[in-house]
Amino acid sequence: MTSLLIGFLFVLLVPLFVATWRTSLLGLSLQGILLYAMAYRMEGASWSVGSALVLVDLLVLRGLVAPLLLYRVLEARRAPDRNDVLPPNLIAWAAAVGLVLLGFRLASVLLPVEGDAQMMLAAAGSAVLLGFLVLASQTGVFSQIVGVLRIENAIALFELSGGSHPGYLGVQLGQLAIFGTSIVLFAWFLANVDVGRPVAIESASEDLDD
Amino acid sequence: MTDPARATASGGTALVVAGCVGLALACVLAFGGFDPQVLGPWFLVDATSRLFCVLINVIFLGVALHGWSRTSADPDRMLVPRRYVVLCIGLLVAANLSITSNHFIGSWVALECTTIFGAFLIVRADAPASTLAAWHYFLFSSIGLGLALLGFACIARGYASHGVGDLFITLAAAPNDAKTSVWFTLGIALTLLGYGAKLGLAPMYMWLPETYEEAPPPVTSLLATVQFNCALVGLLRVLQAFRPGHEQLVSTELVAMGIASVALASASLIATRTIRRLIAYASILHAGIIAVGLGVGAGAGYGVLLYAVSNAFIKAMLFLTAGKIEAQYHTRDTDQIRGVIKGLPYSGLFLMAGTFALLGFPPFGSFVGELLILSGLVRSGYLLVFATIGFLVTVTFVATGRTVFPMIWGEPVRPVDAYPQTFLSFLPKLMFLLALVVLGLHLPGPVDALFREVAVTLGDK
Repeated sequence: MTSLLIGFLFVLLVPLFVATWRTSLLGLSLQGILLYAMAYRMEGASWSVGSALVLVDLLVLRGLVAPLLLYRVLEARRAPDRNDVLPPNLIAWAAAVGLVLLGFRLASVLLPVEGDAQMMLAAAGSAVLLGFLVLASQTGVFSQIVGVLRIENAIALFELSGGSHPGYLGVQLGQLAIFGTSIVLFAWFLANVDVGRPVAIESASEDLDD
Repeated sequence: MTDPARATASGGTALVVAGCVGLALACVLAFGGFDPQVLGPWFLVDATSRLFCVLINVIFLGVALHGWSRTSADPDRMLVPRRYVVLCIGLLVAANLSITSNHFIGSWVALECTTIFGAFLIVRADAPASTLAAWHYFLFSSIGLGLALLGFACIARGYASHGVGDLFITLAAAPNDAKTSVWFTLGIALTLLGYGAKLGLAPMYMWLPETYEEAPPPVTSLLATVQFNCALVGLLRVLQAFRPGHEQLVSTELVAMGIASVALASASLIATRTIRRLIAYASILHAGIIAVGLGVGAGAGYGVLLYAVSNAFIKAMLFLTAGKIEAQYHTRDTDQIRGVIKGLPYSGLFLMAGTFALLGFPPFGSFVGELLILSGLVRSGYLLVFATIGFLVTVTFVATGRTVFPMIWGEPVRPVDAYPQTFLSFLPKLMFLLALVVLGLHLPGPVDALFREVAVTLGDK
């Protein structure tokens, strides 16, 4: 488990410093795959509808579908290779490292017993904080999507760290459907939002205006 | 082949039918002596769900009637696309499920569904700014609801060690030592922050003015009333479940978020020069006052409910009116809209009444609600908060009046593209206005009993 968590922290941090969108997507994909590897190691090889949903959620949606959908959109738009998920300066980088340390400190307060659970909690805490750092420092749609997906992955890791049963099937299905639809919407917005266009003050002629 | 005019008319009719069915079901639920056991453990039919189900369905029906009457009066101008109809009905169903769900995550899933339907509804093909607004709406909603989910995960983790296995609202009462655990405190704080984002509370309120301005007016009405109240019920559920025995739980946080929201809204109102953005900032102010009222807890519960319900009617009426004014003056700029009472007498009347209700004047329900919240503040010893709110509300009054009163009574500066109005087209707004007056003067017995029942769950004696 420790090696998987170190790997998770690695794919959490490296894409912040390598400023290309392909690295960001690869990082997200690897996060999903590592999350599934951790879930698999915790649950073992038992097969049930619940574990199939975990597979779909972590491996298929987070590991494959989300990065591939965003990749297709960016390829179609011929996006320039460079994309800073964090501003390229020492302050932002120091903040990122500081937030990782804060995540570890938080975990040691919340879960004083050392072990895998504490390490997972530390990684989840760091991931949430880094996701917020990305969101706070970027205005581009792609970087904001990366920020949100990082937070979503952090929540999944947090739930894994509790080791609790995922809950009722209906609720689990609902969450999965919401996440899947959100990914499709992210891709749609990435393809369609044009942040450079000015907002007109005059009302557009619209059928539903009044 | 389908006749487009017929498809349009049937779209409007479908929305009205959906609204009627929703309201009929909500009334049976609220006043028909319905046995809640019939729905099983996944649904919670208590006073809160009964009150808010009736509210959102009344408003949905009003908005649907408004659209339908416009279709009937001028079919060429007012199209109701099938996509819009399906999304609106989806939003209504998800909103009702969110309010009646007995499971925290189940309610969260339904609220997320309303967000997804809402995002699609905001986008207009001919207005690129609406796509950007929809993106900001969806982004902030995703973050907010993500935080709420994280909060529920923390609460579940805190409860797991005390034998409470799942997050059913009616089973949420746990041993008191669980409620003082760090997981529990962290969970409640994250949930509050998350639902606060959906309500437009500071610090995550930025999506709201842009979204309310760019969405089609009927959609803005639905978001500001139906969805807002779903998020409010989500927050009320957390307080109702976890506050008993811990009356001061998140009181300080709620009051702080409330005051910050009121302050931000008051400052922004001074600089705003578009009509719907102005109402949007007033919505943030209202959310702030509701948060302060919830923070006070005991003694302000009835006032909070009266204020929240009144504001739903005010926002529905004002956003529909603002949409009509924008469409007929062909501008959003408040400096270009003058003398509405002469150019569009009915809209001018509704704008005037709505503005007075917005500012908390009698005889509207918002006046009584605000008064009860403020007196709750004094009774609970929050004197500094009382003084701050009093000052900020005065600033709001001046800022809103300075912008809106010339719009109503000023000398016209541009022609109005007026067309004949049927009685049916302003009937929903008239009903909203009537509801506001009834809320302010005398509540019918069964409705008053429902309000009191919910207020007790919020700490009122």
